[in-house]
Amino acid sequence: VNELVREWAAAIHGVCFVPLTAQERRMFVLGLASRLVDAMHTEPFDPAAGYEAGAALVAADYTAPEVLARTITVLQRRLVPQAAQVRRAALIEAVAAGFTRSLRRRTLDDQETIRVADRAARTDAERALRISEARFSYAALHDPLTHLPNQTVLIDRLEQLGTAHDREATRIGLCCIDLDRFEAINDSLGPPVGDRLLVAVADRLRGLAGERGHLVVRRNGDKFAILAERITSTEDATKIADQVLTVLAAPFQIDGYELSITASAGVVERPVSGETPTALVQAADVALHWAKADGRNRSRLFETHRNDRDVARHRLSAEIPAAMRRGEFTLVYQPLVELATNQLVGAEALARWRHPLHGELGADYFVELAEDTGLIVPLGIQLLEQACHQAVRWYGNPPPFVSVNVSTRQLHQPGLAGEILEVLDRIGMPPAQLQLEITESAVVATDNQTLGTLAALASSGIRIVIDDFGTGYSNFAYLYDLPIHGIKLAGKLLRDVGRPTAAGHAVLTALISLGFRLGLTVTAEGVETGVQARVLRGLGCRIGQGWHFGHPVPGHRLTAT
Amino acid sequence: MARPEWAPDGIDIDHPSAARMYDYLLGGSHNFAVDRKAVERFLAVMPDMAVHAQANRAFLYRAVRYLLDAGIRQFLDIGSGVPTVGNVHEVAQRVDPGARVVYVDIDPVAVTHSRSILAGNSYAAVIQEDLRRPEAILRHPAVRELFDLSQPVGLLMVAMLHAVPEVDDPHGLVKRLTNELAPGSYLAISHGTADGLREMVETIAKQSAENRYPLSLRDRDGVARFFTGFELVDPGLVWLSLWRPDDPDDIPDQPERSGSYAGVGRKS
Repeated sequence: VNELVREWAAAIHGVCFVPLTAQERRMFVLGLASRLVDAMHTEPFDPAAGYEAGAALVAADYTAPEVLARTITVLQRRLVPQAAQVRRAALIEAVAAGFTRSLRRRTLDDQETIRVADRAARTDAERALRISEARFSYAALHDPLTHLPNQTVLIDRLEQLGTAHDREATRIGLCCIDLDRFEAINDSLGPPVGDRLLVAVADRLRGLAGERGHLVVRRNGDKFAILAERITSTEDATKIADQVLTVLAAPFQIDGYELSITASAGVVERPVSGETPTALVQAADVALHWAKADGRNRSRLFETHRNDRDVARHRLSAEIPAAMRRGEFTLVYQPLVELATNQLVGAEALARWRHPLHGELGADYFVELAEDTGLIVPLGIQLLEQACHQAVRWYGNPPPFVSVNVSTRQLHQPGLAGEILEVLDRIGMPPAQLQLEITESAVVATDNQTLGTLAALASSGIRIVIDDFGTGYSNFAYLYDLPIHGIKLAGKLLRDVGRPTAAGHAVLTALISLGFRLGLTVTAEGVETGVQARVLRGLGCRIGQGWHFGHPVPGHRLTAT
Repeated sequence: MARPEWAPDGIDIDHPSAARMYDYLLGGSHNFAVDRKAVERFLAVMPDMAVHAQANRAFLYRAVRYLLDAGIRQFLDIGSGVPTVGNVHEVAQRVDPGARVVYVDIDPVAVTHSRSILAGNSYAAVIQEDLRRPEAILRHPAVRELFDLSQPVGLLMVAMLHAVPEVDDPHGLVKRLTNELAPGSYLAISHGTADGLREMVETIAKQSAENRYPLSLRDRDGVARFFTGFELVDPGLVWLSLWRPDDPDDIPDQPERSGSYAGVGRKS
């Protein structure tokens, strides 16, 4: 047996790595050898020991094919007694079978194990990838602050609807929402409060639209939008906007502050077909802009004709600078007549735009545009200079004065008084021949600088009158605070002239009386009939202006009728 | 769009894996056809490569027993591959059931399989990491939990560093790892070399370059430099089979044919 153990242990060593010391290896082989030797002598003969020995080799990690090959050789030579050839052959056969079967099982098990590991690793990797992709796409499509979907989602959805098979029949309502004066909250209470307010706003919008199945998105900053699909009428769409304004009107409790905010909304309602998503959003934005321009805290529905008008206005506005260079702005003059004598005493200069395409445009078409863009400042002074050039050519003793409109923006412009006086100086016109008309709203908002301008103009001898008196805020206090010389009563106040019992008549009477008592020259605009002229004269009104006395005419044709 | 940084990488299981190729070389069945095909191509050039793989495995076994004798009870096995015969935790925990072992491999399949083998073993863990992120390995929760880094650690990098090309600065990486180990820690390395069998190994290196696993064979000095800050224990940096053989009979006639240096150093 010793020979068998020594040779067998040496034979299987080195053909595959098994972490056994030489001693451990010999003990292991001894166990196998003893049982095989026993089997050689035991009656009745049982080859099971051979089978077990083969399996034991594999179990001990002696799995190399060489292990079996060498084992067979060793057993052939050393398994005693040599006489028992049949038994030895049977045992070796059993060892080979046991070894092979165990090895096969081991191999299949290992293959299965590694396949399971591979599958698990793939699953893990795919899951990790899916999670990361989901996170990635969530981040790409959602606003991190409010967790609302973002504008990309809105555009995608509009695109989907626009390509759907039933797009002809699908009307959508898109409502763009913007918080009014949100910046003020951010600036005064800090961005963290602003952020929490946005989250709270998002929650309310989500609550409102979510239950109706509408899509709510945060576009950017304080801009949100709600998309309602498959609505049946314009009212459905505007109702959403109204509901939005209502839910946002309730105060928000943020960090111990009670914040009351308002919002403006622009609504577009139309079939989805034939419109790009961007055009739809732009239309809603235009309507939102109208809501803001009309005073905020309201919603506006997009209307094509209003938009067309806006576009036309915008175009016109852009043409003003070139028109100024080309001298397309001119003046016409409407007579101002002393009611007591029917004498021409002055004329109001009214601006006209001789537009190469649209013909002659009245001030209504462009003064507001020029005011919006700030171009009114250079345009105003250009027109004033024209008026003065004209006025010095008028005859009379004294010659008629010229009355020129000064806009609010011009009045707030520093250095206006100096500029006007310089024009007079250059032309050589006495200041007393110039009258400036300013609106009530311009004087209501007077600050120290404007006050200084008015004082400088008045002290030079230029006369200042309040235009359109009685239709604006009609704060009477400034009538004696400011250096003004007169008031011009708006034409609509003459509505009830000749009907002494009407309320309008009373107002007119009171205003004329008020001006008279304050020592102000009262001028009435819009005098169209002789009756009106007579009544006004009777009430103490000094000057009249209107068709009754003469239409606006070019400067060289100015005469009293 | 750029791939987000939290997306997992290293998922490439349709290609041969170094870990599974090594398993096949060792006679294991934890491998796929792609792995076996890649190995066969190596074997065509270097028929006794399987023997060298076993020699590496035997070196790991001897080194771990040496470290256990030296009192080491924490083992960090980087590039551990597919668990196979004579795993570090089996050897170590037979000596001391409380011995701690953390395996590190870059291959997700090897790691997943290791995890199933280690299930229920509260003192051994496997992590999927990259040697190129040494700090990530040392700060990994499993390492933090199992190891006391104020105590010596046995750092094992067997047949591993020759898979790291110079561009990745393997010496710097090993330095960053060993810097954080307590004095008395050990470093065990076996490393492929072209010294002594230049022609054959160069063919292999060329082939491996086409094979996604470029081998970066280093000469003796190059391997010795990994032990900077360590004192090599007897017999120093030697051919694989010459490092403390169990039996004189285990030394082959031409030890240099293994194409590998082996050594163990102690951090002073």
